[in-house]
Amino acid sequence: MNGWDFLRLINGLRQASIMISSEDVRDVQICLDRFPMIAEKQIMKALLIRRPQDLIMFESVWRIIFAANLLGTADDAEDSTRVINIEDKNSPSIGGQGVGRGFGGISLSNSEGHDVSKDLTLKINPAKLEVLMNKIGAFDDLVKAVLADMNYYTWINSYELDYQRGSLTEEEWYAHLNLRSSIIDEIRHQVLALQVHKENSWQPLARQHFLVKPLSNLTDLEKSLVKSSIRKWTRKLAVRPGQRWKPTTRRGLIDIARIVRQSVQCNGLIFKLSFHQRIPRAPELIVLCDVSNSMAPFVEFLIFLISCFKRCYRKIRVCFFIETVWDVSDFIWDEDFEDIRQKITSWGHKISLGYSDYGAAFKELAENYLVNVSARGTIVILGDGKNNYRSPQKEYIAQISERVKQIFWLNPLNAEEWNDPDNIMKHYQPFYRKAYRCRSAEDLLKIVRDVF
Amino acid sequence: MHTSPGELAQALKQEGYMIDLETATTLFLGLYLKKPCLIEGPAGVGKTHLAIALAKAERRKLIRLQCYEGLDITKALYDWNYAKQLLRLQLAKTDDWEKIKLNLFSEEFLLARPLLESIRSEEPVLLLIDELDKSDEEFESFLLELLAEQQVTIPELGTITSKANPIVILTSNNSRDFSDALRRRCIHIYLTYPTLEREMSILSSQVPDLTEQLVQEVCEFVAKVRKLPLQKLPSVSESIDFACALKALQKDKVNYSNLMGLLNVLLKYPKDIVKLEERLKKWDSELKVRMD
Repeated sequence: MNGWDFLRLINGLRQASIMISSEDVRDVQICLDRFPMIAEKQIMKALLIRRPQDLIMFESVWRIIFAANLLGTADDAEDSTRVINIEDKNSPSIGGQGVGRGFGGISLSNSEGHDVSKDLTLKINPAKLEVLMNKIGAFDDLVKAVLADMNYYTWINSYELDYQRGSLTEEEWYAHLNLRSSIIDEIRHQVLALQVHKENSWQPLARQHFLVKPLSNLTDLEKSLVKSSIRKWTRKLAVRPGQRWKPTTRRGLIDIARIVRQSVQCNGLIFKLSFHQRIPRAPELIVLCDVSNSMAPFVEFLIFLISCFKRCYRKIRVCFFIETVWDVSDFIWDEDFEDIRQKITSWGHKISLGYSDYGAAFKELAENYLVNVSARGTIVILGDGKNNYRSPQKEYIAQISERVKQIFWLNPLNAEEWNDPDNIMKHYQPFYRKAYRCRSAEDLLKIVRDVF
Repeated sequence: MHTSPGELAQALKQEGYMIDLETATTLFLGLYLKKPCLIEGPAGVGKTHLAIALAKAERRKLIRLQCYEGLDITKALYDWNYAKQLLRLQLAKTDDWEKIKLNLFSEEFLLARPLLESIRSEEPVLLLIDELDKSDEEFESFLLELLAEQQVTIPELGTITSKANPIVILTSNNSRDFSDALRRRCIHIYLTYPTLEREMSILSSQVPDLTEQLVQEVCEFVAKVRKLPLQKLPSVSESIDFACALKALQKDKVNYSNLMGLLNVLLKYPKDIVKLEERLKKWDSELKVRMD
């Protein structure tokens, strides 16, 4: 590896949010020099990667720099071929034909029962990808478009049907799932590489960090990372003294037992007085979540966040709504959060038609639930504000706003979309204290710091 | 000191630990740079066992600190022996301050806990800080000085620097994430479930009486179970237990229809056992169809 490539790699990794200090760079250089028999990539991976999730980013940066020839012009399209070897023992139904257009497609030829190792070829045509990139902005949508263009979804559907029919064994099904994720990883990488190439910057990689990605597009691994981060933020808050104290003397009551304990450590001399720790007054929290289809991914994280805060509050109620409100507090705390998204969807289908009506929901809340909320309560509303052109019925949210201490609104849409014609955020603005965007984990962190 | 990753892997193998070359390389570089190694991975993949085997391979005394919630410096680093200090004061039995003026905060009254013990040790040691994720964040921050400088500071005594450069291994089950500051000071190793071949060699070495056929069947079965969406996947130690249980029951093959009671050895949650029992029925019928 020459010095220029080394510096590019370090810069690329840093831009992709992997922290690399000068000391790390020095260590890598020492080891590269001292152990020429160990592969350079292995040394760099060992010394620069500190989190399992950073490995994917490392591989991407490495491939972008050292396999740059893969991303040449359209003439090099044949070279831009990644071959994945798979053990495809019994490829189902769509046998003997290469399905897909444009990007070259996925070779799905049936091995006709022969137990042979087969190549799955993924070709990506940079020229066509550029056309798609101009049309579609979001990375995940772009990847989906590329996969759709390759007929990937037809291919996976055929496998799913075969699995349901029982013509695939479980082992074959798992092998197929592995292959699926390899294909997606490969396409993601190639799209990312082309974006980096086109923008001539590492920004597309930085945008893939789990903290800035939209919560709705997170992979399972990223979801667990976000949840782990939420746990960490809430833990910090739990040990931070609150601002609400019991009315007592300025510094509280003297703690004799603690003074004696401390004086024993100092030869029996009293150096300072200790006071009883004052207990923050636990407030009430009411969480109101819009669980229409577009909101489900965001609800999952908010509920997780709330569950981490549970012990900090005297009382927490969680209500879901679409056009009617239903209280799910008791159910939520007992449930496994892994499948809450499916549960939300199935509840929604049972109880509602699926079209949000904020006015109706607030009316129901004001009439049926407000009686049990004290004046100290805080209401957190999670919703995109899309009211499907129904009446906002402002008088009910006004009534709620007067009754409780404060209302916060969390909206997964970007702020400029809050003024869309069917969005009621502008109507409700006088009644909530502050609205926050909660699209990514980074937004959630801001909310944790400001609201809770 | 080993001269190559292969040599280190060989030394660990002699101590009963099979390590893949990639992990051995990372560990080797960590040892060469005298950096602490943070080993992460699911429970039961051999993180602690790796540290124990490394201590034996490097001929170092193992000092272990088991972390838990609420662990503080008085349990991990040092404490003052209050009873001894009081006794010493009582023994003075005089009102003359000049006579009883003693330095109660000298090494005589110091109780060394695992971290201090490893720093002060004259002989080579390996310090294992096990399950660090169970401890609080404050403790994690406290460790930074030890990890970066191999020294600790006791306010009454000053800074104590290590004499024998201990190898420091930290393990974690990922129940919480660590700060960037801690990660930056360590070499990171992520251990995951072994490949089929490696698990077979682990099993053969750990339970030598098993037939090759049974070892293969057990490993294939465990690998299959690991693909299921379970709360706790079976680890290497559980597959060893499972193989031992089969041996104890004098079974020479893994029969899907006859594993009742044995599943508790492999899985630890009733929900998971129910899930696996359902799958076993399916696998058994699939196998019968194939046999026909």
